Amino acid sequence: MENSVVLVTGGSGLVGKAIKYVVENGSGCKNEKWVFASSKDGDLTDRASTEAMFLKYKPTHVIHLAAKVGGLFGNLSANLEFLRKNLEINDNVLFMAHKTGVQHVVSCLSTCIFPDKTSYPINETMVHNGPPHDSNYGYSYAKRMIDILNRGYNREHGRNYTSIIPTNVFGPDDNFNVQEGHVLPGLIHKIYKAKEEGKPFTVWGTGKPRRQFIYSRDLARLIIWVLREYKETEPIILSVGEEDEVSIKEAAEQVAIAMEFKNGFIFDTEKSDGQYKKTADNAKLRKYLPDFKFTPFPIALKETCDWFVENYETARK
Amino acid sequence: MMASHKRILVTGGTGLVGQGIRAVVEQDPRADEEFVFLSSKDADLTDRASTKAVFEKHQPTHVIHLAAKVGGLYGNMKANLQFFRINTAINDNVLSIAQETGVRKVVSCLSTCIFPDKTTYPIDESMIHNGPPHDSNYGYSYAKRMIDVMNKGFNQQHGTEFTAVVPTNVFGPHDNFNLEEGHVMPGLIHKVYKCKENKTPFIVWGTGSARRQFIYSKDLGRLFLWVLREYKETEPIILSVSEEDEISIKEAAEFVAKGFDFDGEFQYDRTRSDGQFKKTASNAKLRKYLPDFQFTPMEQAIRETCEWFTANYSTARI
Repeated sequence: MENSVVLVTGGSGLVGKAIKYVVENGSGCKNEKWVFASSKDGDLTDRASTEAMFLKYKPTHVIHLAAKVGGLFGNLSANLEFLRKNLEINDNVLFMAHKTGVQHVVSCLSTCIFPDKTSYPINETMVHNGPPHDSNYGYSYAKRMIDILNRGYNREHGRNYTSIIPTNVFGPDDNFNVQEGHVLPGLIHKIYKAKEEGKPFTVWGTGKPRRQFIYSRDLARLIIWVLREYKETEPIILSVGEEDEVSIKEAAEQVAIAMEFKNGFIFDTEKSDGQYKKTADNAKLRKYLPDFKFTPFPIALKETCDWFVENYETARK
Repeated sequence: MMASHKRILVTGGTGLVGQGIRAVVEQDPRADEEFVFLSSKDADLTDRASTKAVFEKHQPTHVIHLAAKVGGLYGNMKANLQFFRINTAINDNVLSIAQETGVRKVVSCLSTCIFPDKTTYPIDESMIHNGPPHDSNYGYSYAKRMIDVMNKGFNQQHGTEFTAVVPTNVFGPHDNFNLEEGHVMPGLIHKVYKCKENKTPFIVWGTGSARRQFIYSKDLGRLFLWVLREYKETEPIILSVSEEDEISIKEAAEFVAKGFDFDGEFQYDRTRSDGQFKKTASNAKLRKYLPDFQFTPMEQAIRETCEWFTANYSTARI
């Protein structure tokens, strides 16, 4: 990309920090300037503030990660807020991008916005095929509307606005809060504490459910590829394949190895397992990038755990 | 609270449905109800400050929200982005400002065209979000669907009573009779009027066998008022005649001809598409609540509309 300015909204979060890391470690290009914006730089729910940010940085490209996010309990009590704030943020960012002539925007969806009642594996054509899970319908519908807006801008104005759908992201700079965070950072934080307290670690459920995890730094490299090369309006799922799903038990064991935790595991089988599998199909990604190598799970987890231990004081928890 | 005065703000109050409600209210006013019919002259509902000002001016206790950016097939196809963004802005402004200014109940207006394109029939209220809408008007459809999502959110979070209705094909005085943009009934009415004037044969496109549920705007007005006063669910309610009262396009054309006392020639251009044969919407929920509601007989409703059109031709939207 010649003389580009890439604005990353939500630039200080899990994914934003990973993009910053890979840009500074080999993925950046000459003549590319990267701006990582956070909520300090502007309130994206406010049109004027969003416009000011675009006029200040004059981006040629946008990676749009900013959103109001929360864990299960955050969403349950505030679906309205999650819907309205995210609709506003997304409308402001895409509108301002279009108004200031930005040709490429990559926004971030999530596998949690897919229909609740569905067959597996899920793929990119299925996003709108039924209502999302009721616990986070506000967030889900707002994210789905990004895809609707992309379609409108591209068909009517010739833009190249698109979106990506990661599966479970993990890595440094995550939210390790046990109440609000997701499963891997939750495991990491809990095992850290169990190690400190000299206790065995209790895994909720049988440990059998299987999940696709994607390391934030692999996701970052893929997002940059999407920004530079991917031309479709339809989203693209970014994930390891089904064969690289990991069970919760395997994940816990890998975290234990990474943290040198030796106090043993207990499985509390009274607790719910949640869904056994929620496989997302990465066939489209594999069609475009058959040779892309994901960081091996044990290595990615070790880097993440090492980061957490070193940065415990300042980590979000 | 039950006996206290209601001030009901009707956004989009000068359109087909707004005028239908107005006709009912003027015929049968209630002492505890005051209506304010708004049009785009009174406020720009895409603008938050303008919307807030009109709510502060009128201090409504209830809202019937009909205002929308609408258009026919061709209007939508070219401008789905605008239809999505403008309607989303209008709906967010009206619902959020209603809630902020203490309005307890808002009844919004959806449409059967927002339902999933691939679906089984009859369609019912539980099916709205079960798949993507038809691609030609996805922008309008998703914006309307988000009203239902917001109703749920506002009611869960703020204890409001926001809901919506889903009419089938509305017709009546004050419709848009433009042949390019308008819907099938006003289109038939305008065409027969012209055929009578010009003494040309009336040509119906298709075989005339496709069947539709039509609802007269005055009947819709009466039902809208019932929803405002009595209906307590968040889930929308389909407002329509039953499946057995569907009429074919041929029957509709014949009623229109009678409505104008048109005795000229009738032809069917069978080379033209019929569109979908049936798109039946279930009115079981309405019938559960109002088993005895009488719809105006179709022949009479169409005749009244034709007479209105003749009397108001010079000012009608054509």
